[in-house]
Amino acid sequence: MSLALRLTLLVPLLRPIGSGWLRPALLALAAAGLVLPGALRHPALWLALALLGAWRVVSGWPLADNHAYLLVYWCLAIALALLVPDAQRALAWNGRVLVGLAFACAVLSKLLSPDYLDGRFFRVALVEDPRLERFAMTLGGLDREQLLARREFVAQHVDGPAPVRAVPPEATRLRRLALAATWLTLFLEAAIALTFLAPLGRHVWLRHALLLVFCGSVYAIAPVASFGWLLLAMGAAQCAPDARRTRLAYVFGFALLILYHPAG
Amino acid sequence: MALHQLWLVEREGLSAWCGGGFGMFSTTDGWGARHLHAVALSPAFRTSLEVPYELEEDAARALALPSAARVGALARALAERAPRDLEPPETIRIDVFARRHDPETLAPRGELLRSAELRLDGATAEP
Repeated sequence: MSLALRLTLLVPLLRPIGSGWLRPALLALAAAGLVLPGALRHPALWLALALLGAWRVVSGWPLADNHAYLLVYWCLAIALALLVPDAQRALAWNGRVLVGLAFACAVLSKLLSPDYLDGRFFRVALVEDPRLERFAMTLGGLDREQLLARREFVAQHVDGPAPVRAVPPEATRLRRLALAATWLTLFLEAAIALTFLAPLGRHVWLRHALLLVFCGSVYAIAPVASFGWLLLAMGAAQCAPDARRTRLAYVFGFALLILYHPAG
Repeated sequence: MALHQLWLVEREGLSAWCGGGFGMFSTTDGWGARHLHAVALSPAFRTSLEVPYELEEDAARALALPSAARVGALARALAERAPRDLEPPETIRIDVFARRHDPETLAPRGELLRSAELRLDGATAEP
């Protein structure tokens, strides 16, 4: 349980969040939790983090990233778990349900989306988002000129019907890559939602395996390391006290995401 | 929270990326892909209004969640800064557009999500 708490506190330290007075306040609390003896397991620390995180979400409504909400839920869950006799068990249950529900919501959003299942989202994102361009060029087979032409085309500001103009060619490989990313993401997210929400008995290793594979693969591309770190902290909360290797795998996964995104 | 987000996406045009419903990476319709036009209108002229720096966050919120109240509030804030050197404008109009892509070519088109007019006698209307 201490590992999960420490990993959680590292998230705002590695990627400072909030603006104005909120940022130093969150940083100070997170640092205090790691450094001061007794603070790590004090419910007041986690309640304060949850309240500051909630203020960040409310004051930025509706622009806050989704992991800002997850951080609030998780800090509140930790604060409440630390108030009950079997904190380890309470936290493990909360982490499991939060991960399961977050992924279930992500899957539902993709199923309801008008432009996800046909591959449009990734076809656009791979060329439009500069953070994904390395992936698009390496695996999608685009050279820089093709990428920039497609980017300029898909990102036009249009106030009505599509303008009549030549469509720059789209590489077949990029299209296949987009479709593969569409279905692999959906499959992995659905598998995580199912395994975290369903009782698995002896097969709980499947939860850890899927979450670690998800974080190790998706966050190599998706530029939101904070989300991945939070998921890993919640996964670590479910490790049994004697599951030394699994805990090490979470630490390794956490470090891997730092290497993937040292500054972004 | 997540159910509220789904409701806002459906009813108020909230971008699925926002609002805590975990809809990131599910659609091209992020708030950054949306845009708006603000114009000051009077019987004699029509002037495009730039969103000043201090209102950029309000504009971002209106793009993410273009509810009548939010777009109306942005119109009121812009009205205070509208040029009045020639003839005072009678109306501030804001149109919020989302970008949609053709399923085959990905050619973008603009879909009007919200249009709000603020008459400077104080009334707000949605044409």
